[in-house]
Amino acid sequence: MPHYIGVILDENRLAQIKGTPLEEKIQDLFGGQLKMLVVEVPEDKSEQILKAFDRARIDSRGFIEDLPVAFKRALFEEIAKAKSLDVIDKVLERLPEIQEAAKKESEYIPPPEIE
Amino acid sequence: MAKLKMPPPHGGELVNRVIEKKEYAESLAAGAIEFDLKPTLDPNGVPIRHVYREIVSVCYGFFSPVEGSMTQNDLEGVLKERRLENGWVFPYPILLDVSEEDLKSLDVKEGDRLLLKLKGQPFAIMDVEEVYKIDPKDVATRTFGTPENNPEVVRQPFDEKHPGWMIYRCMNPYVIAGKWTIINPPKFREPYDRFWLPPAECRAVIKHVKKWRTCIAHQTRNVPHTGHEMLMKCAAYTGDIEPCHGILVNAIIGAKRKGDYPNEAILEGHEAVNKYGYIKPSRHMVTFTLWDMRYGNPIESLLHGIIRQNMGCTHHMFGRDHAAVGEYYDKYATQILWSEGIPSFGFEAPPNEVEKGLKIIPQNMAEFWYCPVCGEIAYSENCGHVKEKQKFSGSFLRGMVAEGVMPPKVVMRPEVYKAIVKWWKVFGYPFVNNKYLENLNKELEVDLAPMEIPKA
Ligand SMILES: [Zn+2]
Repeated sequence: MPHYIGVILDENRLAQIKGTPLEEKIQDLFGGQLKMLVVEVPEDKSEQILKAFDRARIDSRGFIEDLPVAFKRALFEEIAKAKSLDVIDKVLERLPEIQEAAKKESEYIPPPEIE
Repeated sequence: MAKLKMPPPHGGELVNRVIEKKEYAESLAAGAIEFDLKPTLDPNGVPIRHVYREIVSVCYGFFSPVEGSMTQNDLEGVLKERRLENGWVFPYPILLDVSEEDLKSLDVKEGDRLLLKLKGQPFAIMDVEEVYKIDPKDVATRTFGTPENNPEVVRQPFDEKHPGWMIYRCMNPYVIAGKWTIINPPKFREPYDRFWLPPAECRAVIKHVKKWRTCIAHQTRNVPHTGHEMLMKCAAYTGDIEPCHGILVNAIIGAKRKGDYPNEAILEGHEAVNKYGYIKPSRHMVTFTLWDMRYGNPIESLLHGIIRQNMGCTHHMFGRDHAAVGEYYDKYATQILWSEGIPSFGFEAPPNEVEKGLKIIPQNMAEFWYCPVCGEIAYSENCGHVKEKQKFSGSFLRGMVAEGVMPPKVVMRPEVYKAIVKWWKVFGYPFVNNKYLENLNKELEVDLAPMEIPKA
């Protein structure tokens, strides 16, 4: 059974995929208040991901959650570059670099600038 | 239906073993054998429990009628049928455990008085009633049950991956039993101090300040999303001739695991629900209990019932997977316990229908999800749009938070999110990480005033 990774689209990310075929694949969540792309991950690759990040886990919806932000960022970068959701191999090629960045993330994540 | 009123404390009377008068306190401790309280460590040296939290909860009456570290008879009763020696229902062993080395250097026996120190200061005394040996692994396994002995609800044998089982598994092999008395009342640090409402005061506030005749308790160890909020609101429609007057949120504060939200954000996140009017403060109040969560699903629900009955609640909401981790118990184990009982755990009937049982009334709730067809947060037993439903996922929300995306307000109230960000700025991290743990384990939730004990 494949698993899924949800990539949340904020305004900045939406702008980057504007006018591409990806726009049609955007899913609405919570009455359209949240936009998301869903990447399908074959089982062998989801195993590889779970092994690479010890906190990652599959939730009750079959989504891989608790992934490092660095992974989610790299995933979106590859999606925007390829204008396609079929990028999981590309992301896995970058695994060492992502794991390195994820290590730093366990100590510090910059807080968002809200009042 | 008759109108309900506040139930009596579990066991009949609230335990109050806190001495405020300093001189009297000092005289009680004079000449006692000193012992520095230590955290329980897992095999990697990570603190997973601190007995000081149990001492506070016992002495302020949260765990009434328990008065201290259990005797061997109490322990056996609890493990065998979740009953103290005096017959009252109680689910968990409460123990002051010490190593062989500490026991030798203490050289205590029945009748001796111990002075328990915390953060270098005198904290509590205990008169030793008994010293006995336990097999921690056996205590751990009998506390939570096994698929063979408790086939009604235990689905998998408990093991090292279960944090509650590990707490008992990692205890020291000797128990010093006896009643605890706090002689140096701890001062809670900010923001805990705002939410500290021990049972006697909580009952008084409910009766005289809030004037709630009925009150439903909500268990939490999480920052609330709107699914939790809707659970609280809907569960509160139970009551007697009208919905419950009040909702008491009681957060369990204790040892944390990496990836949890910080305690401070949990408390202030719940506070934001009433502060910003999602549930009016006249109807909603946030409090906490110190306890290193054992994740014992039905067993934990008994403790939750006892704590909140002692705090003065008439009702308690129980959800699916209540206080659960992994798949050790049936998803509905807590609801099975409170609707029909679990004989192998000592309950031929629900805990509020047995002799010397609880008086709090369970409100078993199913699930809430967002339904785009209904256009609202829907109750699973109402909404028939099973295909379209969008479940709340705590980990999905955590992912959103970590990426710096503000969750849509239909999922999390902006003021609740701001409580997360406030503490994120303080700790440099939105969740519990190593640094937070190191600091919490060093500082704990309290400070203790310096106290000089006269030599005997
Ligand atoms: Zn619906």
